Amino acid sequence: MTSNTGKSITSMQYIFIISGIQVSVSILSLPRDLADAAGTDGWIAIPIGYILSVAAGFIIVKVMQNAPEDTIFDLLSRLMGAWAGKCFALLLGVYFLSFMYDSLNRAILITKDWLLPNTQPYLLMILLLVPTYIVAKHGPQILGRYSEFVFFLSIWIPFIYLFTLENAHGLHLLPLFKEGVLPVLSAVPAMLYPSLGMVTTFILYPHLKNKEKAPINLLISNSLTMLIYLYITIICFVYFSPDEITLYNEPIVSILKSIEFRFIERIEVPFIAFYLFIFSLAWIPSAYIAAFCISWISGKKDVALPLQIFCIVITVSSFFFLPTFNQNDRLGLWIGWLGISIEYVFPLCLLVYIILNKHFQQRTAL
Amino acid sequence: MIEPSDNLLLNQSETISSNLAEIIPHINNLFSDTSDLVIRKLTIKQTGEKAILVYLDGLSDKTAINRDVMRPLQFEAGSGEPGDELIMTVSQIVPVTSWAQIEIALLQGSSVLFVSGRSEAYVLDTQGWPQRAIEDPQLETSLKGAHQGFLETGGQNIAMIRRYIPNRELKMKRVIVGRRGQTVVTILYLADVTDPNLVSTLELRIQKLDVDVILNTGELSELIEDHPFSLFPQFVTTERPDTAASQIMQGRCVVIVDRSPSVLVAPVTFMSFFQNIDDYSTRWSIATFLRLLRIFAFFVATFLPAFYIAVVSYHFEIIPMKLLLTLGESRGQVPFPPFVEAIFMEITLEMLREAGVRLPAPVGQTVGIVGGIVIGQAIVQAGLISNVMVIVVAFTAICSFILPNYDMVAAVRLIRFILMILASLFGFVGLVVGLMTMIAHLISLKSLGMPYGSPLAPVRFVDWKDTFIRVPLWLMKKRPTSTKPIQEMRQGNNRLKEDDL
Repeated sequence: MTSNTGKSITSMQYIFIISGIQVSVSILSLPRDLADAAGTDGWIAIPIGYILSVAAGFIIVKVMQNAPEDTIFDLLSRLMGAWAGKCFALLLGVYFLSFMYDSLNRAILITKDWLLPNTQPYLLMILLLVPTYIVAKHGPQILGRYSEFVFFLSIWIPFIYLFTLENAHGLHLLPLFKEGVLPVLSAVPAMLYPSLGMVTTFILYPHLKNKEKAPINLLISNSLTMLIYLYITIICFVYFSPDEITLYNEPIVSILKSIEFRFIERIEVPFIAFYLFIFSLAWIPSAYIAAFCISWISGKKDVALPLQIFCIVITVSSFFFLPTFNQNDRLGLWIGWLGISIEYVFPLCLLVYIILNKHFQQRTAL
Repeated sequence: MIEPSDNLLLNQSETISSNLAEIIPHINNLFSDTSDLVIRKLTIKQTGEKAILVYLDGLSDKTAINRDVMRPLQFEAGSGEPGDELIMTVSQIVPVTSWAQIEIALLQGSSVLFVSGRSEAYVLDTQGWPQRAIEDPQLETSLKGAHQGFLETGGQNIAMIRRYIPNRELKMKRVIVGRRGQTVVTILYLADVTDPNLVSTLELRIQKLDVDVILNTGELSELIEDHPFSLFPQFVTTERPDTAASQIMQGRCVVIVDRSPSVLVAPVTFMSFFQNIDDYSTRWSIATFLRLLRIFAFFVATFLPAFYIAVVSYHFEIIPMKLLLTLGESRGQVPFPPFVEAIFMEITLEMLREAGVRLPAPVGQTVGIVGGIVIGQAIVQAGLISNVMVIVVAFTAICSFILPNYDMVAAVRLIRFILMILASLFGFVGLVVGLMTMIAHLISLKSLGMPYGSPLAPVRFVDWKDTFIRVPLWLMKKRPTSTKPIQEMRQGNNRLKEDDL
């Protein structure tokens, strides 16, 4: 058995890795962000963002089809020289590292807020980094299995939300385009951060089992993400009154307060704990990819060492300082802009460059 | 430095002499201080040659020696020419020339015949060591399965499996392990079903072992498993020939260690620890129910005490009011935090269990009484432990008894303690992170290079037919894909048509 066949990702795993990164932490505040920008019309921005991200995804796959067995860095080194590959590896590494830190930070803040107000944040950080390290050090195959497993494990969550519909008012959604089209368009940027993550394709593409299915898989995963977002956003919109929703930081959790079963009260408590599984879908793949980027720069295959360094540095830093909710929001905004340039703008430029390059090479060949 | 038991290999190539007068001192030298060694001098009537017969008393079948060796040699008339073929009625006669072979043969219970003037000796198959009769398996009792368990003799264990699979594709690989123990380890597999990579990996791992002796299958499995630091067992050991045969039919390898009454099955998945041979002999509906019950029991046995600790110490707001009042009443007098309570009860339970296993049966009953009445009842009345805690611990114990595999139960017991500590420190967050770590670990585990988490991670829906549910047998047309069998189909269409009924 060669090492390559043993490390392949199935289509389903690929779909769930991408959806996992996209949904995970960002779903918490999405309804609120959308409502902030466009009121109850905000949900219309979701399909628009979806179209954009599908297009970006296709471009990414198109780029990768030029180097089916390599990572993006090898491709860049071949096209523009070794420095380009290394620079981009560093950039992507920083991007995913901050993505990982941001989602870990957010998860810890939420955990502290809802469940363990008195626990030291660095303890939680250590706790969360243990499974992260175990999964991430084993590489893409285990990553795929983890995402897949967590998705199946969480399949019951959407059904719980149906219970909130008892108090729902569908009228909140009507009429469409209350304030016109402009507010809806202004909500689209709020959709971009929650759609980030497709750029993992740059790294995962060589490991895919069915490469020819990659565009379809991207389409499916983006659709899955969109359905989840639509479902949750619409439920939040019909449940909360249009003015009230912007008061909640995590409307998706607060909404659960209305559900009560005979055998359990305050269902949001176990829910938040369980959500850690879904959150982990963001930082575990990011941890791997960041470590991969760093080890690629140093020319090694092993991701364990960079991972260990990340874990230690993050833990130690959280001992002294952990961003608050507001700082985390600002970090998220910054990552969002970086992400837009890496996931939307850069692949497009690269694709144009590749096409032109081919064109000119053919010309010179003639 | 002298390597362990190097002296065994010193006379590897030394050949025997044809002179009996030299042979006897040599044997006495080799086996000094060996009082069970028997050297019998005799004259062969058939050829008129002098000879000696050597064997170890107790390891050889004396009746067979008297009847099939001594008697023909001393009483049968032959040609009288020295050097002729000797007439003996033992089943196997192997001529050997080196002392090393003779030594091994003697130590394994064969008898060796040296004939004056011949430069080869004869190893006679007269093995017969103390054996017990075939009994019901002790650990894996079954309601409807066979009532034969494996024995301590490798050859008989192979025979018991062969009785289930009389097929020439059932192949064996024999490896001798242990410098001093010379344990015969046999790998059984179906040549046209099992992935050849698996067999060669397994064989290689066993061949590489350099140990003194392997006394038990457990030792072998610890030496060859993929992840020695994991809490989870990575091979199934079974003492049931029917289970072993069924595993072979699913494309797995079975390793038989001579002198050990249990055999090792590899590769296995996490879910194989929830399967039981009775699942296939009861109706599929009840088998499915039992399967689900076991999986539920696994989660309860692992998580319940930790969950209770987390709820009572951190998240009591999720308990409905009425239940909370009952709980409060029960816990009101208890002076300890829930974690201390739980640890105390769990450790007591583990001690009771261990005492019950080691004690002889008549004394064992006392443990039950002491545990049940004295500790169970008195501790609650004294107000040291709450009633609810006793219920939690008892329920956990019952659930862990449902699991059919001892090794898995042992793992569950350890994980339970880890989770209890996590829950007492971090509440639900600790629980979820514990579960997350467990899942992360399980999906990265491998058994003989095959994914341990299959068919859950990686998801293989085809194999779900025999995972959470057990579908009717006629639907399971293919062997499980987790073993990557060469021949996938295992049966044709067995569903009776309307017309046949």
